[in-house]
Amino acid sequence: MTGPIDTNAHEATATTRREFLTLSGATAGMASFGMTAWADNPVEIEVSAITNTDYDTDVLVIGGGMAGLFAAVKAHDAGAATMIVSKGRLGSSGLTPFGKGFFVFDPETETGTIDDFVDTVSRSALGTNNPVYTRQLAEHSLDRARELADWGFFDQTLANRPFMKPIEERDIPLLERVVITHLFKEDGWIAGAAGFRLDAEETVTIRAKSVILCTGAGGFKPNGFPLGDLTHDGTVMAYRIGAKVTGKEWNDGHTTRSDNPAATFDGWGDMFERVPSTNGVEVHHDLGMDINYRAYVTGNPVAGGPGAAQPTDEVAGGPYVPEEFQRDFDAPGSGEGGAPSGPPPGDGKGGAPGGPPPGFAPSANVGGASAGMAIHKSEGLVPYNDRCVSNITGLYAAGDALGSHMAGGIYTQIGSSLAGSAVQGAIAGEAAADYAASVKAPIIADARIAEVVNEILAPLRREAGYGPAWVTQTLQGIMIPNFVLYIKKASMMQAALAYIEELRDHHAPMLRAANMHELRLAHETRNMILSAEMKLRASLMRTESRGSHYRLDYPDVDDVNWRAWINIYQGSDGSMQLEKQPFDTWPT
Amino acid sequence: MNFSGKTYTFIAALAVFIGLPLLFYALGEAPRRSILKESFSLITLLAVSLMVGQFFLARSNATLLNLFKPPQIQKVHKYIAYSAVGVIFLHPVLIVLPRYFEGGVKPWDAFLTMITTFDSLGILLGLFAWGAMLVLGVTAYFRKKLIPHFSARYRGWRYFHGGLAVAFIIAALWHAIELGRHTDIAMSAFFVILTLIGFALLAKLYWGAMPKKPHTPPISEGATT
Amino acid sequence: MTIKSINGCIGCEECVKSCPCDVIRMERGKAVITYPADCQICHLCRMYCPVDAIEMAPEKSIPVITPWG
Repeated sequence: MTGPIDTNAHEATATTRREFLTLSGATAGMASFGMTAWADNPVEIEVSAITNTDYDTDVLVIGGGMAGLFAAVKAHDAGAATMIVSKGRLGSSGLTPFGKGFFVFDPETETGTIDDFVDTVSRSALGTNNPVYTRQLAEHSLDRARELADWGFFDQTLANRPFMKPIEERDIPLLERVVITHLFKEDGWIAGAAGFRLDAEETVTIRAKSVILCTGAGGFKPNGFPLGDLTHDGTVMAYRIGAKVTGKEWNDGHTTRSDNPAATFDGWGDMFERVPSTNGVEVHHDLGMDINYRAYVTGNPVAGGPGAAQPTDEVAGGPYVPEEFQRDFDAPGSGEGGAPSGPPPGDGKGGAPGGPPPGFAPSANVGGASAGMAIHKSEGLVPYNDRCVSNITGLYAAGDALGSHMAGGIYTQIGSSLAGSAVQGAIAGEAAADYAASVKAPIIADARIAEVVNEILAPLRREAGYGPAWVTQTLQGIMIPNFVLYIKKASMMQAALAYIEELRDHHAPMLRAANMHELRLAHETRNMILSAEMKLRASLMRTESRGSHYRLDYPDVDDVNWRAWINIYQGSDGSMQLEKQPFDTWPT
Repeated sequence: MNFSGKTYTFIAALAVFIGLPLLFYALGEAPRRSILKESFSLITLLAVSLMVGQFFLARSNATLLNLFKPPQIQKVHKYIAYSAVGVIFLHPVLIVLPRYFEGGVKPWDAFLTMITTFDSLGILLGLFAWGAMLVLGVTAYFRKKLIPHFSARYRGWRYFHGGLAVAFIIAALWHAIELGRHTDIAMSAFFVILTLIGFALLAKLYWGAMPKKPHTPPISEGATT
Repeated sequence: MTIKSINGCIGCEECVKSCPCDVIRMERGKAVITYPADCQICHLCRMYCPVDAIEMAPEKSIPVITPWG
């Protein structure tokens, strides 16, 4: 009846119409996604009918990524009754699916010693790394890689099945799609955690002798690099019960594609589809602010990576990169692809060889996209010893939730993200099991549980309030444009801080949620606001530039005053307090 | 007349059992994927269509009996059946096979997840249909040995074969409508209508009296769909 | 757009579990794109789906406002 051209035309029209309908459907549905600012709360569930389920365990592991896996396995193997809870699925949430490279220090194949490795990392990190944790990474990485190999981790793209193997073998209880929002502390000791189920109208309380936060790092759901589930939950929960937090001034400097910047998969090279592999010592000075500085000075887009045009001009000023770790601008073929200041093939989160460098597809890249993202292992709870313990008795953290400064305040050793999470998870698991064996089960008063459950459900009970997605968008609008966290200036950060304080005081207490999905968004939004405050205050306090922290008003490294980390904690009046902790010391 | 009747029947059969599913596939809104995946989808759709077509390539189709000799029909019935059964036999594997060539769940893991999703009616129907088809194929292959065991001999075999075919096709189509990515309303209606006509022919054969005098058939039964 | 469509869902819930952002929910035994605004377009649902039912698109359902585009 019709020729092929007509058929195609019909198909094209039909497709466009379908896409339009999908889009307009999404637009019409925005109100229900909490996209509106202040509005009535169209609650979809019977809030008074929400029940609570109570669990009990020795060691509670919060988070189902690489760190959580090893924390649970090692705590169990050390004899503790162990339980894992994750807001997503084991091996399929947080940054674990992003990482495909696993650093292994194999004395058989490495030419240098572990001492050499630790020294190299320290030189690149300008002293910001904690050498105890750097050494630990190298010492334990091979054992962890062997265990992962046994479980089949290096045989397939997706981590869930290999991760489930040791968990099923040990019959470790696993709560998935449970969002933890609160930690219990009784008499100064950790006592458990509380949250809610996404799939049921139910809150969850878990009494535990010891808790290990394996909750990963955070970000403000950076819209150009949309890690939509990295929201600083663990850090903020712990901060609220008195834990000290460090490393908030460091920033991940990933660029993003200008085309469909929010498409994580497309922007991450072929990393999502790669099978994980191991790599040896390869220390860089990556993912810092130099490429963002270039974007700030010369404007976007910024070049980088094979397939993209190489910049020919040097930009004056900018972050200090130790000479040893500088890239040769004139030799694009040298080194790891010769991308100036950008991640080489197999960068940051991953490092599996063979393939284009993630985030550096041959389209134009833009800087300033990943605001709020941390440097792996350098933003989180302050460790009080080499076994991942925090200042709260019984509370441990591992992986990106621990501010171990394992690799320093800038990205140094390739593939150390996954490996470090595995190593620290195992150490924290054993430490927590040892601790749990020495204490009695904590008692949490019913009134305290009722109080926490009330706090959890508060956004569902509000008759009207701010939509969490709208508040998150507002937060993104404050923190992401204008290089607030990249090319730092006191005036800009003060301005942003004023706005963040307003969100904290006026919006966070008035967030609404109509269902369990929005309840998650509401709690995440609160956490991101607090983390933004921490990042701004720490960045304001650090009046120098070092590693991934770059201040236009203090552009130089200041070794006289700033060979120190910044710790943040809640003062007795609830205000945010900051203190220095000299490098190479433990807090007291 | 006889010659052109045959030709028309060929053309009509091709148009109905191959042409129409291809047409509905082309008009369908399911997203196009890789050539390999789309080829698997197409041969599966055609296999289902041809399996439905088997109801028309049988003793029940008086029109056909007027045009062709029974052994000819039986031969075509046999070849088409074994090919279509072969494709549908592999259908569960063809669903997961392309995973071998891409990042993602491993084919065998996908296969296990798929065939153990027992709370899905579509999967249960699919498993039943696949089993029924297997019995259909195997018993058909060994029919000569089996026929003596039926009390009514050949007639008994026919009831068995026809009954099993009806059970298979009901489960298979229900499964396809429940789960298939290409079984939109048009494709589903096409299969259902064709099947109902096929059932009607079979019912007429089994329950109705054998026609005493030859019909004056329309040129093509299938075209009425 | 984000997750463009789900065709041929068998209701195994692999995608619901695998989604880090709780975008997909079950309705009457089938996976439904329920909260597309929160999709991070990571393709994990597509890669975990045993029957390859999920089709992705790189566009966000809500236009992304980046600092510089």
